[in-house]
Amino acid sequence: MNPRTRNALEFVLDNLVWFMLLLVLVVFSLFIPNYFQLGIFANIIEASSVLGVMSIGLALVIIAGHMDLSVESVAALSAMAVGILFCSSGIGLGVQLHPEWLMVPVSLLLALAVGGLIGAFNGYLVVKVKMSAFIITLASYIWVRGLVLVISGGRSAQDLAPAIRWFGIQRLMGLPLTAWIAVACFVVFSLIMAKTPFGRHLVMIGGNETATFRAGIRVNRNLIIAFVLAGAIAGLAGWLLAIRTSGATANLGVGLLFNAFAAVVIGGVSLKGGVGTLPGVYAGVLLLSAINTAINLMGLPANFTQVIHGLLVLAAVLLDAFKQTIRQRLA
Amino acid sequence: MSEPLLVLDNVTKNYGAIEALKGISFSIGKGEVVALLGDNGAGKSTLVKIIAGGLEPTSGRMLFEGKEFLARSPAEAKAAGIETVYQDLSLCTNVDVVANFFMGREITRKVLGIPVLDERAMEAVVGKALASAGTRIPSLRTNVEHLSGGQRQAIELNRFVHWGGKLVLLDEPFAALGVEQTRRGLDMIRQVASQGIGVVIITHIMQQAFQVAGRIVVIRQGVVAGDVARNKTSPDAVINMITGETLAGAGPAG
Repeated sequence: MNPRTRNALEFVLDNLVWFMLLLVLVVFSLFIPNYFQLGIFANIIEASSVLGVMSIGLALVIIAGHMDLSVESVAALSAMAVGILFCSSGIGLGVQLHPEWLMVPVSLLLALAVGGLIGAFNGYLVVKVKMSAFIITLASYIWVRGLVLVISGGRSAQDLAPAIRWFGIQRLMGLPLTAWIAVACFVVFSLIMAKTPFGRHLVMIGGNETATFRAGIRVNRNLIIAFVLAGAIAGLAGWLLAIRTSGATANLGVGLLFNAFAAVVIGGVSLKGGVGTLPGVYAGVLLLSAINTAINLMGLPANFTQVIHGLLVLAAVLLDAFKQTIRQRLA
Repeated sequence: MSEPLLVLDNVTKNYGAIEALKGISFSIGKGEVVALLGDNGAGKSTLVKIIAGGLEPTSGRMLFEGKEFLARSPAEAKAAGIETVYQDLSLCTNVDVVANFFMGREITRKVLGIPVLDERAMEAVVGKALASAGTRIPSLRTNVEHLSGGQRQAIELNRFVHWGGKLVLLDEPFAALGVEQTRRGLDMIRQVASQGIGVVIITHIMQQAFQVAGRIVVIRQGVVAGDVARNKTSPDAVINMITGETLAGAGPAG
């Protein structure tokens, strides 16, 4: 094999999920009436913003060799906190700040802080007390959702303050600002992972934690930061969710965790850690969203979505194993 | 012996009721190569980890360059100038050669005040280091998982030669190397020592110890069973010290 075909093949393998996304979009555009229009594509991006943001945090922790099952509940808690403070009906307290725009940074900081705190709690127990991330974050997944039920009393908050809602209504080039926030998050965190020592260290910790410790990398510190980031990013996802639904309900976002896992795995992140990139995860998120949109357009019952997502995850894992064998031949 | 670089004074390590090290005392001079020998389970790797900051001793003290020294983490040991090559390789196979070479010491440049990896500068340094050591690796951008055992070990050896420091600890560094690569590795050790860096090499192969070391320290059951200059002993005498059959000709113990 000459180096050029080899490089080309490597490129395809590295970006396989993007090619899959392209293929799926082409096939849907050809065979599903009305699929091929800008509005549909904009909708795919818009519908994937909350899931996309949540997947970033999950991917960070998985790439570093751990796990965070709590992101869904954390997003719900952040959304509920924002909803209770800044919604005017239901259980909303309707807190008003002057000038009005001040509610934007305050609500955003609140969401990030709620998420970051739970992330720090998870990270501390996993790293310092050396407990399994799976168990710790499973516990958080349960108790944080419980907390949402407790503080809301099972009721919901509606009518989010217009100043905050503005992000979901105002459009730039056909996309609401919330979608742009998700895209910006992907760009920023992709750069952090690929270009900064911190990102490089997380990848290496996921690959061989002992080696990085011996090399003098502050493994514990980096891992705790990763958990705090995952929590804070989940908080941001919750903020977006509150804007999207103009409030918060007690069961907000239920099931998002499994979609986030699906997106991360489809995006080429290995659950063993150390492998995967954030652009790939974004492609995974878009792929899921593209398929959901197709199901809606074809008028299939929404219940099919879950079956297809499950099969897609299975396909992604098989594909990953297949990629490994090809790579071994290449080397 | 030149002035001592590292002095170990009665260093012990207990794992619960088990005494892995019962009191180790010896010293290493600048530019000196000390071979640390001993049977499996004698405590060699434990000792290396204590010096390298991976483990804390139960008691005893260490002097590094005449000052009280205790590394609480590998980062502290590295900051003091102690480089370590471990028996089980310390490479991240999921990243490329360059990333492994610079693990934890990446070259960065500031972009808007944020440190950004300077890949081109790092690749140039690695290329030069490997070329001068005669190590051939097809592409520095290949992930280490695709490299052979010998190539991996070569990366680690080149890494310690490049970073140097003041003291180098090598725990079975040639386990995966062929004859020619081992010869080159031994040359690397001599070259490093000639720069005034102290070298401690753990090995099972008597021949290697006699080829490169100026002094041979034998550990048996957690104590120093022998500490002799190479030219004052023989492989047979050393084997006897390792197995504990006799202490005759072992020189001053501990």
